[in-house]
Amino acid sequence: MATLTHYIILSSILFGIGAIGFVSRRNALILFMSAELMLNSVNLMLVAFSYFRADIAGQVMVIFVFAVAAAEVAVGLAILITLFRHVREVDVTKFNILKW
Amino acid sequence: MSDLGFSFSLSQLWQIAGGQLILIFAGLILIFVDLWLTTDEESDHVATMGWLTALSFLVALWYLVYREWPLNEVVLAGVFSAEKFSVFVSAVVLVAGIFASLLSIGYMRNNGMFRGEYFVLLLFAVYGTIAMLQAVDLLMIFIALEVMSLSVYTLAAFLKDSRKSQEGALKYFLLGSFGSAFFLFGLALIYGVTGTVNITKIAQILSVGPFEHPVVLVALAMLMAGLFFKMSLVPFHMWAPDVYEGSPSIITAYMATAVKAGAFGVFLKLMSVAFTPILSLSGQPDFQSTVNLAALAVYWKPVLWWLALLTMFVGNLVAVSQQNVKRMLAYSSIAHAGYMALGLLAANSEGRMAVLFYLVVYTIMNFGAFGVLFLIDGKEGKAQTLEDYRGLGYRYPTLSFLMSLFLVSMAGLPPTAGFIGKFYLFAAAIKQGYFLLAALGVMTCVIACYYYLRVIWKFYMEEPAREVVAGNISFTTMGVLICLALGIMYFGILPEGLVRVANVAQQSLAMVF
Repeated sequence: MATLTHYIILSSILFGIGAIGFVSRRNALILFMSAELMLNSVNLMLVAFSYFRADIAGQVMVIFVFAVAAAEVAVGLAILITLFRHVREVDVTKFNILKW
Repeated sequence: MSDLGFSFSLSQLWQIAGGQLILIFAGLILIFVDLWLTTDEESDHVATMGWLTALSFLVALWYLVYREWPLNEVVLAGVFSAEKFSVFVSAVVLVAGIFASLLSIGYMRNNGMFRGEYFVLLLFAVYGTIAMLQAVDLLMIFIALEVMSLSVYTLAAFLKDSRKSQEGALKYFLLGSFGSAFFLFGLALIYGVTGTVNITKIAQILSVGPFEHPVVLVALAMLMAGLFFKMSLVPFHMWAPDVYEGSPSIITAYMATAVKAGAFGVFLKLMSVAFTPILSLSGQPDFQSTVNLAALAVYWKPVLWWLALLTMFVGNLVAVSQQNVKRMLAYSSIAHAGYMALGLLAANSEGRMAVLFYLVVYTIMNFGAFGVLFLIDGKEGKAQTLEDYRGLGYRYPTLSFLMSLFLVSMAGLPPTAGFIGKFYLFAAAIKQGYFLLAALGVMTCVIACYYYLRVIWKFYMEEPAREVVAGNISFTTMGVLICLALGIMYFGILPEGLVRVANVAQQSLAMVF
């Protein structure tokens, strides 16, 4: 029987994987995916809390988070494409004309 | 226990969230105005859009000041509040919006970038900031934060032909979404522990429940980290210099002032209402057992102590080594966030008052400095280095004089408003017993004087290195800059009025309960 603790641990692990992926990978698209994974791990946690507390509010929040995540990707990919036109590269270590 | 069963009348909605509604409607209308408005000259089109945007901000500001400021009953359906604190910070954001839209007209003319949607995005950015400030619900704060951020990401990427602008915007976007994921994680944990996301209910539940539960502490850390990204405190500042350098200068000024004002305002509200220490220390607890909650201060204060110190040192020291004036101002704005963190740390009524006062002053002087910067620049990126500034004092006496005034204020020298603002911040920190931090902070101010005054030295004491042609200086731009300069002098000589208003504003935080 899966308890609340299991869900919290699972979503924390997913969040951690997302965060580690975000800081260690170099491909901008993978960074997007990692950020999405972080948001979705939070969704999982919200649903679990909602279920175990028998409170619908948590599931409603998930819908809001979906909407925000979708908007975020739309803007992020647009910016990446305009940058790609200049650089022809998705490796974030190549985005380096600005430093110190 | 669900917070989602709203019950409120439309008139109540107007009363409390009227400023936001005005901005939403104005934004939606302006999209169509931009589409249908046909003018012979592109620059007239931009000027019309700019003035209409400024007018919308003005109407919203009027509404906030005359309708929402005197309100006594302030919370709407547990989602929005219109207490004087958030009205005050919202007014600062709106004023920043007015400056930004008016200066943008001149900026667009100089850069040949005629884009009406720019102003619509600016409207939505301001809307997001105000909604975030007025929200008393963590989920609403998160959504408003995203509305603000997404608009600002787009604005930061507005110079399509500039690789710098795109690169800065992508970095801002990536680190911004990273930061908001942390905020959301904190939100989910708080929801799990307390079963609510309304900040007053969180406070009530935490005050009787296990407020030192490790999950609460993790949630607190995550929420703070998310906001620190927006406040650009070191070490959460990595994006700031790049974005500030790459973005259109006016947007840089907007990000450095209004976005930061929003983040500081929300941080203060969150810390003083949901994680209560501040109220209990100032002796105005509005519900029982607040004293228990002051225990949480033990956890967040040392963190903020180190962040304030690091921010002041890193911001000022790195600014010294910059050759590009825009990037130098970017680092200096990080340092200013450090000074304001002193006020947050003090967390007494003086500290909160000082932060509010400094937000106003900082907005004025930052817009002034970036306003002159884009004029000297001519076209974005053409004359931004210190070498370009050599001898400009004789070629452009008015611009150089204004820039010198704003820089003197940023350095915190009397009789400008920057001095008074810094004085209140440091005084608040010292009163709360942070002697070492205040002393080190004053030391960084001395470092800061060096790089600000260096620009003024270049203006007046050196021969020009090359011909620098400033951009076209329109009547509007000059008018705005002169207003800003007068504001700096006025608040420097007669700060009492603003201090009184800021004091009323900070006391109102207790009314959220």
